[in-house]
Amino acid sequence: MLQAQALTKRVTTAAGTLTILSEVSLQVSAGDSLAITGASGSGKSTLLGILAGLDQPSSGSVILHQHDLTALSEEKRARVRAEHVGFVFQSFQLLPGLTALENVMMPLELHGVDNARGKAEFFLTRVGLNDRLQHYPQQLSGGEQQRVAIARAFASEPDILFADEPTGNLDSTTGAHVIDLLFELNREHNTTLVLVTHEQRLAERCRQRVSLEGGKVVERRPCEAA
Amino acid sequence: MLPLRLLWRNWRSGEVRILAGALILAVAVVSCISMFTDRLDTALTAQSHTFLGADRVVRSSQPRPPEWQPLADKYQLGTATTIRFNSMVYSGDNMHLASVKAVSAAYPLLGELTISEQPFATDPEKISVAAGGPPAGQAWVDSRLLPLLDVSLGEEVVVGEKPLTITRVIIDEPDRGSNFSAFGARLMMNESDLAATRVIQPGSRVRYSWLLSGPENTLRSMLAELKPLLSPHERIVDVESAQQGLAKTLDTGRKFLMLSAMISVLLAGVAIAIAARRFAQRHVDQVALMKSLGAGCNKIRRLYAVQLLVLSLAASLIGLLLGSGLQALVAASVSSLFPVQLAAPGWTSLLPGLLTGIVCLVFFVAPPLWHLPTVPPIKILRRELAVSSVHYYWQAFLGLLAMIFLVVLFSRDWWLSGSIVLAIIALLVLVAAFATLLLGLGRQLGRRAGSVWRLALSGLQRNAQQSVVQMMVFGLAIMLLLSLTSLRTTLLEDWQLQLPSGTPNHFLMNIATDEVPQITAMMAQRDLEPQHMFPMVRGRLTHINGQEPTDEIRQRAEMLRREVNLSWTDTMSSDNKIVAGDWWDGWHERGVYGVSVEEQTAQDLGLELGDDLQFSLGGLRLEARVASIRSLKWDSMNPNFFFLLSPGALDDFSPTYLTSVYLPPEQKLFINQLLGAFPTVVVIEMDRVIAQIQAIVAQVSAGVELMLWLVVLGGFFVMWAAVSASMESRMQEAALLRALGSSRQRLLGSLWIEFSLLGFFSGVMAAVGAEILLLSIQYWVLDIPLRFHWQVWLLGIAGSALLIGLLGVISCRKVIHTPPGRMLREIA
Ligand SMILES: Nc1ncnc2c1ncn2[C@@H]1O[C@H](COP(=O)(O)OP(=O)(O)OP(=O)(O)O)[C@@H](O)[C@H]1O
Ligand SMILES: [Mg+2]
Repeated sequence: MLQAQALTKRVTTAAGTLTILSEVSLQVSAGDSLAITGASGSGKSTLLGILAGLDQPSSGSVILHQHDLTALSEEKRARVRAEHVGFVFQSFQLLPGLTALENVMMPLELHGVDNARGKAEFFLTRVGLNDRLQHYPQQLSGGEQQRVAIARAFASEPDILFADEPTGNLDSTTGAHVIDLLFELNREHNTTLVLVTHEQRLAERCRQRVSLEGGKVVERRPCEAA
Repeated sequence: MLPLRLLWRNWRSGEVRILAGALILAVAVVSCISMFTDRLDTALTAQSHTFLGADRVVRSSQPRPPEWQPLADKYQLGTATTIRFNSMVYSGDNMHLASVKAVSAAYPLLGELTISEQPFATDPEKISVAAGGPPAGQAWVDSRLLPLLDVSLGEEVVVGEKPLTITRVIIDEPDRGSNFSAFGARLMMNESDLAATRVIQPGSRVRYSWLLSGPENTLRSMLAELKPLLSPHERIVDVESAQQGLAKTLDTGRKFLMLSAMISVLLAGVAIAIAARRFAQRHVDQVALMKSLGAGCNKIRRLYAVQLLVLSLAASLIGLLLGSGLQALVAASVSSLFPVQLAAPGWTSLLPGLLTGIVCLVFFVAPPLWHLPTVPPIKILRRELAVSSVHYYWQAFLGLLAMIFLVVLFSRDWWLSGSIVLAIIALLVLVAAFATLLLGLGRQLGRRAGSVWRLALSGLQRNAQQSVVQMMVFGLAIMLLLSLTSLRTTLLEDWQLQLPSGTPNHFLMNIATDEVPQITAMMAQRDLEPQHMFPMVRGRLTHINGQEPTDEIRQRAEMLRREVNLSWTDTMSSDNKIVAGDWWDGWHERGVYGVSVEEQTAQDLGLELGDDLQFSLGGLRLEARVASIRSLKWDSMNPNFFFLLSPGALDDFSPTYLTSVYLPPEQKLFINQLLGAFPTVVVIEMDRVIAQIQAIVAQVSAGVELMLWLVVLGGFFVMWAAVSASMESRMQEAALLRALGSSRQRLLGSLWIEFSLLGFFSGVMAAVGAEILLLSIQYWVLDIPLRFHWQVWLLGIAGSALLIGLLGVISCRKVIHTPPGRMLREIA
């Protein structure tokens, strides 16, 4: 499903060239789950961005669902994302001007999916927010907002879902609910999961784990499924 | 479909409202003005045409060569002929030197010849519009000819050798104009009877007019062919030359309206640009999100382009409707006061409004949004990533470009646009320089100031760049508002002075010396106040410095070929101005009379102070020396003379008297009584002309007034946009300060100070800019005397400090009255 080969990311700053990622390789098969852990500043988000095709590595390659992302233009990568990829972010990234329902409908509308409203309502109901459809993000708690974001991610029925610290802004109880939800949907739709976290509990529920430090993989182990 | 849905959601969340509002305003203002001036133009042209009785008139002292007519026929133009001369008309023993006008059947081509069967009729029921001139064998005459000849309708008068039956009286004829030389009562007859009168002999003074009407283009082509055939005696008269005074007023008015249109478009443009910039900033995250969700750059570009296109289209449409509504309102409010109907605006007058919408879209909306689709998708994970945006310089440059484009579109007045561009550049440079200085100074002061002031000053400094940009925007808006307000006052005063209510609207001429006291008494009985009684003698200028005028001068100065009116007075009318030499109190040459000459006449005749003139007055000689040269206002409706002599000069020449008087409409019948009692007096009725001029001036004034309010609205939009653009960061700061325990009063105080300071500085610079702009506009564009504008400084500085302080505090009040906790959450 997802295969990364010797990913390196360098950036040039005023202070000189900085290597954020070096020689990171990994592989995730369909329906599997991967946790990326590491200290703050270790390069987790950078790696996630490259794996999802949001950014380009300085060298190395990423093959996602038979598409070599590093060889594609941004326009083509966008198409790959549209077809196969979903996202959940630490800061939810809901549009403040749209209701919960409209937020979930947005990607569906963007891709011209039929019956966007029906699908959005279905997934919002699935995450337990059927009575909050017309509420704006401002009127929702953090956990509720993240559930809306999860509904949005799953509504377009992606093959692979990337999540950058999905529980980072939530308290542990709420975080646990959100994680349960993620894994339930993962099972129901056979979605591949790639998530960044520094929560041990969350990392342990993934079947695979890589740990970063200073941009290098320092630990890698397949976990037993919980 | 999707772009529309997105647009609707953006509208709902208030993000495009300022944008839409400013766009609507710009389009509304421009379309309102272009429709309004279009209607005024049409009205003026139509009115002037009816004064001419045609679209063009070819005047000549010779009969028309026969080869001209086929030319008019070729172009299918309407034609008519009038032939005017003075001739004795008789009835029994009575005779009168009448002003005869022989007309062809098609006369008049434009305008209305109104007639009646009742002498001196004023009742509209009794007055009808003639379908053409009088039939052969008949004469239509001025009512006053009847008592003069002691005849009544149906009786005969004799012109030369031809008897004619009087069948109607003439109430009004379109091309009578304000011709002072028309002493005699009018007698109108058919052209075909002319030969039988045998009055026209070689050497008779006859004026032939060939009236032409038709579509403008055709007329032009025909006249282009005709021109080479014209001799020096023949002259083409068009509308412009027929009504210069009014044309000038209207032209100034139009310039002002165009100026305000441009200014409000500019203001709206700045508001649009600010709003668009803010829109772009707020949409960076949304674009990054959509990209992460798989929307490509092109798709996003398309999404936003369609949204903006639809928004602009809708706004333009609303703007057009609003604009036409507004101009209809102005027109209606004026026509309820004056009996003038304006034609409906032409379709082409919608064009400038639509173009404005497009210009705004291209120059103000598009640039700030240009980079939006290129936001990298990784922005969604890395919030701190800088996103490229159009630089302010670019936007300012594009704004100026748009301005120039608009000027070309509307007025093509390079002095005007030059003045504005100059003032704007001066203002921007000034702001940039001062702002840097002031902010530095503020830092020094801030250290020593009390805590509220420190808070305010540090607020200004923290957002130094933003403060400078805001100062520029406020300064610009206030400068333009100040200039416009003050220009409007100047203009309105100027026009009010030109034709105040109570302006004399009737001229009485040919009053004999012994009739003066009787007529004065008769007017006094009716509470009418005649102006000064000017003595008047007709004479011909024969010699300049003892020489007969050269042929060259003769060619230039028509007055040498006829008699002119001479007068004397010791007090000069208020609208006359000495441009060279002295009035009588400063003129002390003994043994010779002085003469004051009108400026243009002096120029035509090549006269200078001290030149000796010789006049022939009915065979008697009068000599006078040029003592002064005067400018005067022909459109002031006061009696005016080319030559005014020093007191006593005309004592030996049995003068007749001339005066003017204001007759209110309800006193109109006084004319009949006056003419009944003094049949030789000539009355020239200017009331219709004056009422129409006043109506048009009132129209323009109302337009100017409305425009000012629209521009104020534009200025308000700009300030609102600028204040709201900085609102987010301010809210964040304020909420943080509140959370950290700043009291509400302290925060409020610092907000007041911060915004008022901003307003104060902007006001100072705006006043400087406005003064520059005003002086240059007065000097180069409107050609009115230079005046210093102290109100601008007072109003500009105090007003803007107060206004912007208020605006800032009002828009920040939310911060102050919401609990800090909630505030932080809403911002995050
Ligand atoms: N474009 C860039 N320019 C400069 N530095 C960068 C850039 N991108 C990433 N970095 C730096 O690379 C390092 C890794 O960043 P990254 O966001 O991937 O860390 P992270 O592991 O996600 O940290 P956190 O847990 O705090 O989110 C950081 O020190 C960051 O400042
Ligand atoms: Mg991170």
